[in-house]
Amino acid sequence: MHNQDAMEPHSPAGRPLTVAKARVDEIIDGDRRLTWLIYAYLVTATAWLLFGTLVGEYLGLKFARPDLGVAPWLSFGRLRPVHTNVVFWGWTSLSMIGLALWVVPRTSQRGLHSLRMAWISLGLMNVAVLAGVAQLLVGVTNGAGEFREFIWPVMGLFAGGLVLLGYNLYRTIARRGTEEIYISNWYILAAFIMTSVLVTIAYLPWIQHGLGDTVIQGYYMHQGVGQWFTPMVLGLTYYFLPKLLNKPIYSYSLGVLAFWTQVVFYTMIGTHHFVFSPTPWILQTVAIVFSVGMLVPVVAGTGNFLLTMSGSWRTISRSYSLPFIVVGVVTYFVGSTQGTFEAFRSLNRTWHFTDFTVGHAHLTMYGFVVFLIWGGIYGLLPRLTGREPPQLMVGMHFWLALVGLLVYVGALSIGGTLRGLSWMSGVDFMDSVRLMESYWLGRAVGGTLMFLSHLTFAWNLWTMRPGGAAGGARWSEMGVPGVSAHAPAGGAT
Amino acid sequence: MKLDFHKNHRLLYGTILGVFLALSGIIAVAPALWVQANNHPLPGTRPLTAEEALGLQVYLSEGCVYCHTQQVRPIAQDTSRYGRASAPGDYARLGPTDLWRQTPSVLGTERTGPDLAAIGDRQPSGIWQHIHLYQPRAVVAASIMPSFPWLYEVRSEAGPNDVVVPVPAPHAPAEGVVVAGPRARALVAYLLALRQAPLTGGEETGGEEAARPGAGVGR
Repeated sequence: MHNQDAMEPHSPAGRPLTVAKARVDEIIDGDRRLTWLIYAYLVTATAWLLFGTLVGEYLGLKFARPDLGVAPWLSFGRLRPVHTNVVFWGWTSLSMIGLALWVVPRTSQRGLHSLRMAWISLGLMNVAVLAGVAQLLVGVTNGAGEFREFIWPVMGLFAGGLVLLGYNLYRTIARRGTEEIYISNWYILAAFIMTSVLVTIAYLPWIQHGLGDTVIQGYYMHQGVGQWFTPMVLGLTYYFLPKLLNKPIYSYSLGVLAFWTQVVFYTMIGTHHFVFSPTPWILQTVAIVFSVGMLVPVVAGTGNFLLTMSGSWRTISRSYSLPFIVVGVVTYFVGSTQGTFEAFRSLNRTWHFTDFTVGHAHLTMYGFVVFLIWGGIYGLLPRLTGREPPQLMVGMHFWLALVGLLVYVGALSIGGTLRGLSWMSGVDFMDSVRLMESYWLGRAVGGTLMFLSHLTFAWNLWTMRPGGAAGGARWSEMGVPGVSAHAPAGGAT
Repeated sequence: MKLDFHKNHRLLYGTILGVFLALSGIIAVAPALWVQANNHPLPGTRPLTAEEALGLQVYLSEGCVYCHTQQVRPIAQDTSRYGRASAPGDYARLGPTDLWRQTPSVLGTERTGPDLAAIGDRQPSGIWQHIHLYQPRAVVAASIMPSFPWLYEVRSEAGPNDVVVPVPAPHAPAEGVVVAGPRARALVAYLLALRQAPLTGGEETGGEEAARPGAGVGR
């Protein structure tokens, strides 16, 4: 920790405007080609973040002003899937893959199997999202099932990139320089394997007649979230959290327990998106039972992370990346527990079909997944490029995103609950629209703060760009501390 | 090879693939095949006409499903408003659209606007539907539904076969008449075809009561 004051913004009175945060004291002298690859993933991801959330912001405003912009490609029904698919497949997927391209080779003590293959994957996935957006804007949809709106030739491009990356990472792990496979790589490669299977099954034409399609849609839309984003960011966190705290993970076995229960329980609960639908009752009951089972991996995972953090709060408060991870871990617990409760028939009656679900989706995808990704980016990039973002800007990013999220989710959770109660009371449907007006406005305010935080983040990403003179000490080992199998093995790139 | 997940990558990732494939078979593929095996349209119903089928495509491409469900749940708040509880047979005729597009997912997950499973019973006026699509706020002041004027044409004079949409004054164009385009006509034909075939022999249908014209339609 040297020279902390040099970069601090000062108020006119001369007092520091921000609490001094520790600067990174290690610069990794790694493969610059890998750095550029990772940066390319993060930059294209961030371009999709700005586009996708600008669309989201616009959609939020339409709840207050439905005739704000009247054109086919500006209408809610076409832009809504643009928002969801872009933030899913564009921003979140590409950014976490970018981080995984660092974590997997590093914890395997081997260079990435093929840089070229990873560039091809990047191209395929970006072309897929671009083509998908164009397709949706002109009004072509696969069948309007959520996250399954891209027609198969488009989703096929994305899946091609996904499978290629899975192979690339598998080869890297297979040739690892350590005896054991680090827990991060269990989660990360499992996400690639499960999502490849998932997308294939979702697009098979023989199992979508009548309600067969609904069964498949429940399976797909649920695991598109929970067997892709969840294991990916958990795997990343099993690397970044101990690395940034410079201490071992609390319990390796707890991570393994959480892993297998996640794989088994989560797969079974897709139909909880269709509780009270005409799909077989037994499927819905199985989904509800395993939704309760999900408390096991969630408690094991968050407990493991929190116990790792325990005693290191000073390090966390002095870091600009770790606060993002703290929010991500806490939200993982809150959001997932909320999901379990939403599955219960008694509560589903009130909350299902209302904006409560939209609030839940943002609490989990944003508060949990995206915050962990941001923590990873701020934890890694400055060490790769030797360039740190201005701390004031990171602080702005953090607080705008967090406050925005809380306002967003708070408004929709309260409004959604009231709307569900209004439906149950049997009053006119339009009463439930009028009662939502102020909550929809609250959502737009929260969404605006979130969007502003993304502009700040994009600027910070620019300030962390590669190409600077990397100086300082070498981050000479990946060392997830305390894991003997991962002691520095030298020769790792 | 050691039988140790921590040290044997083939075993670890092979097991993950195997477990996930097996569970996917149990929880998704087999149930989908099971419901398909018993997938019969309800008696007294007919397939969509060509125009109604085009209307379903307009319904999908304009994203109506993101705010409107087509599933009436077997709970009082739904059956008192929208009709009898939906049955698997209500969806039996849905299947893949063509080589490029899959089965329409019409059940929906959000109800920003009311359920439409029986909108053809509840609001059978084609003209009301046209005005409402052209400008929802012309008939429901507090509505936040998007307007779809691009499905309509403004002509100086209507032809003999045109469907003229009598849009009320503040929302009507300054000059000319609003005429439904082919996609608007198809969409309204589809909406009017959304009717629930009565289920006989059970107390739980509740169809007659809820099928009152206008019941539950926001106005």
